Amino acid sequence: MTAPALSTQALVAGYERDLPIVRGIDFSIDAGELVVVLGPNGAGKSTLVKAIAGLVPIHSGTVRLGDRDVTAVPAHEKIRQGLAFVPQTENIFTTLSIHENLLVAANILPTEARGRRIADLYRMFPDLAARPALKAGQLSGGQRQMLAVARALIVTPSVLILDEPSAGLSPKVATDIFRTLKAINETGVTILLVEQNVKAALAIAHRGVILVDGKLRHEGPATTLAGDPIVAELYLGAHRPAPVVSA
Amino acid sequence: MIAQALMDGLIAGAMIGLGAIGITLTYSILRFANFAHGELISWGAYLALAASGALGYLSGSLTSSIGPFSFGWSLPLAAALAIVLTGVVALVSDALLFGRLRAKGGSIIIMVMASFGAALTLRSLLEFIFTSKPVYYTSALQIALPLGGGMKATPDQLLTLGISAVLVVAIHLLLTRTAIGRSMRAVSENQQLSGIVGIDVRKVIRMVWLLGAGLACVAGIMAGLLVQIRPHMGHDLLLPLFAAAILGGIGSVPGAMLAGLIVGLSESLAVQFIGAEWRAAVAFVILVAVLLIHPKGLFGRVA
Amino acid sequence: MSVELIGYGAFFITIALTYAIMCLGLNVQWGQTGLFNVGVAGFVAVGAYVSAILTTPESPSHLGGFGLPIVIGWLGGTLAAALISFLIGALTIRLRADYLAIATFGVAVVVQLCALNLEPVTGGPFGIGFIPRPFSDLAGEPLAFSLLNLGVLIAVVIAVYLALERLVRSPWGRVLRAIREDETAALALGKNAVKFRLQAFAIGGGIMGLAGAVHAHFIGFVAPDNYVPILTFQVWAMLIVGGSGNNRGAILGAVLVWGVWTASAAAISVLFPPEQQARAAALQIVMIGVALCAVLLLRPRGLLGEVRVVSRHVAIPSQGIANAGKT
Repeated sequence: MTAPALSTQALVAGYERDLPIVRGIDFSIDAGELVVVLGPNGAGKSTLVKAIAGLVPIHSGTVRLGDRDVTAVPAHEKIRQGLAFVPQTENIFTTLSIHENLLVAANILPTEARGRRIADLYRMFPDLAARPALKAGQLSGGQRQMLAVARALIVTPSVLILDEPSAGLSPKVATDIFRTLKAINETGVTILLVEQNVKAALAIAHRGVILVDGKLRHEGPATTLAGDPIVAELYLGAHRPAPVVSA
Repeated sequence: MIAQALMDGLIAGAMIGLGAIGITLTYSILRFANFAHGELISWGAYLALAASGALGYLSGSLTSSIGPFSFGWSLPLAAALAIVLTGVVALVSDALLFGRLRAKGGSIIIMVMASFGAALTLRSLLEFIFTSKPVYYTSALQIALPLGGGMKATPDQLLTLGISAVLVVAIHLLLTRTAIGRSMRAVSENQQLSGIVGIDVRKVIRMVWLLGAGLACVAGIMAGLLVQIRPHMGHDLLLPLFAAAILGGIGSVPGAMLAGLIVGLSESLAVQFIGAEWRAAVAFVILVAVLLIHPKGLFGRVA
Repeated sequence: MSVELIGYGAFFITIALTYAIMCLGLNVQWGQTGLFNVGVAGFVAVGAYVSAILTTPESPSHLGGFGLPIVIGWLGGTLAAALISFLIGALTIRLRADYLAIATFGVAVVVQLCALNLEPVTGGPFGIGFIPRPFSDLAGEPLAFSLLNLGVLIAVVIAVYLALERLVRSPWGRVLRAIREDETAALALGKNAVKFRLQAFAIGGGIMGLAGAVHAHFIGFVAPDNYVPILTFQVWAMLIVGGSGNNRGAILGAVLVWGVWTASAAAISVLFPPEQQARAAALQIVMIGVALCAVLLLRPRGLLGEVRVVSRHVAIPSQGIANAGKT
């Protein structure tokens, strides 16, 4: 049995030592899955993915990439191991041009591969190829997200994590983003997505997990989760005892 | 008279500009005003002095003047060594003090305070080792050559102008055309994101220290060559350096050099009209003006 | 012999207490408000010179002849320093913390420059002498003179201390603490943070001016060389060692650091031959500089300081926030 692409074991994390936000989470994603993390505000969704990415201190527990323990690996090493993270805000370098944003990301690849990969990404995101010398700060919200995703894909990650990629975007642009993510997932990239836009996210996902108060309270296949009354309960009544979790 | 003041201002401005570039780079990446930067200038000058003296002692031929300049090969060779050693001083100060405070999540103010303490320590150490008597690289006198338009300059002065110009271009190319330069600009904008995309932020920080220290060393050697070497030389330049870095806009290399020239020229012209004793106040006036009118400076990103 | 010792002790403590007043002023700016003043010497000098000018007799070498009483001189010095603080604060308080540092640094440089160059006013490099001293008619009896002056200083320190303690516990002080701890919340409550910070900065600066005036009247003269960066450094070292944010720590730090300073200066004058004195003095500063950096690294709270020296909201992001807390 192959190890899951990404997994956590009893993960406890938070910005301050005495205030854990992620309070003991076990979960895993298999290669090729697209999993959505849902939950009410303050549940710890962002903190969870940031902890996995190495941006928030982990107090205890482990994070595994495949069968490797990457808990203590610093953020800039994680990407070399195939874990790419797209934060919600400030996810591109606004003072660098589009091309420079991609160059910076491509720097960890071997020299011969850089040009080729960047060309690949330009093919995938023709909007970016149109004006590569443009300062990234002048892009629209949707284009910035595309650049951020493109940047993350340059290293051909095995796992791609995104924190609310559709936040602040118009519905049409959000749809584009989700469609792009689905397409990327279909090329074999495992995707972990934090989202507030429950409906749209579940439409492209295989599976969803629900976080409440730093703990995993419910999970299930995306198709059934959408209509599951428990989901609404968890969102609205975050402090009620957890119902029996269906296997 | 004005023309000569312009020439003098240009030369002084070039040195201020080099120092200001170092400040703006470390400021934009390390996020604090490093009051010890002036001491890197002084240390650079003294290290070159010591190395030059040692080389001259080892081989007398190294002290005979190269062409029209006032110094022999001992100085350029010493300069190369001094640049490396000044870089070491900077890295050591980061390893022992600033890096540790950073790791503990120290606030900006603690860092500035520490830099103030480090500055005083470094400056007094120089005073202890070399005493405060002014010293010189060479006793050879230079004739100022007429350049037309009423301006005169010595070969040494023209050399420093030339070297400054070359360095500014080189650094600009470094920042815009090389991977390490891009990494520096990335770290300067967003450290956390830089880590996510795979940039080793600590390595970049070390590079920036080395670059800033190298520039400070060159500025110090120039000042030592054209004027004199004394323990307070760097400290006395601190206000003009900060004024230039802020006027140019923190993070902008061309801005820092341009602003350095402006500060140098302003000081020189002010000396013409209101007397040399008020020279040090000019930088302060410029600083106040920038903070009042446009704190972002000429090309800056952040206020 | 013991009379001399008492006399010397009184002198030592008197000077230490003038530093204590400077520390108390700096504590208002830094400990209470989180503002970083790197030009303490400049504000002290303003207070000293203004007081000197107001109280000294007519003289060809400097501005004078107002012949005002000492207390008026002190008041004038305090107000002048407060005014300068207000102006510099108004310029920089809205900006980054280190811009204030740079601006105050510039102020100290310019103040010293003015003291040096505005000869008709300040007496130039020679400064102003014959500053009237409290109880000057007792100058003939050194012991009584020393002890009475010490008494004056103790009274001033206690007065300033009590006034500041009341200020800290007043509604004004509470707002200031709220702004320091959580500015966003304070702003939401309608408190104008800039106004409060500016007031605190001016008050702190004024107290520094008072210290300068008191010091000037005690030693009897002012000169540009008295107000150099070393002074700023000494006051900061005193506040850090004693514990910033804490008025008692300010006073304790002043006495302690001044003790260490004079002791090491005495050791140097004994251990080093006369021609090496200047070099040895430089070494003294090196040691104190290292000690200050060490305190910042190991115990930034100082001896009596508050737990949080600055609000956590002004922390810079520590680079490479590693999972295991390693960098």
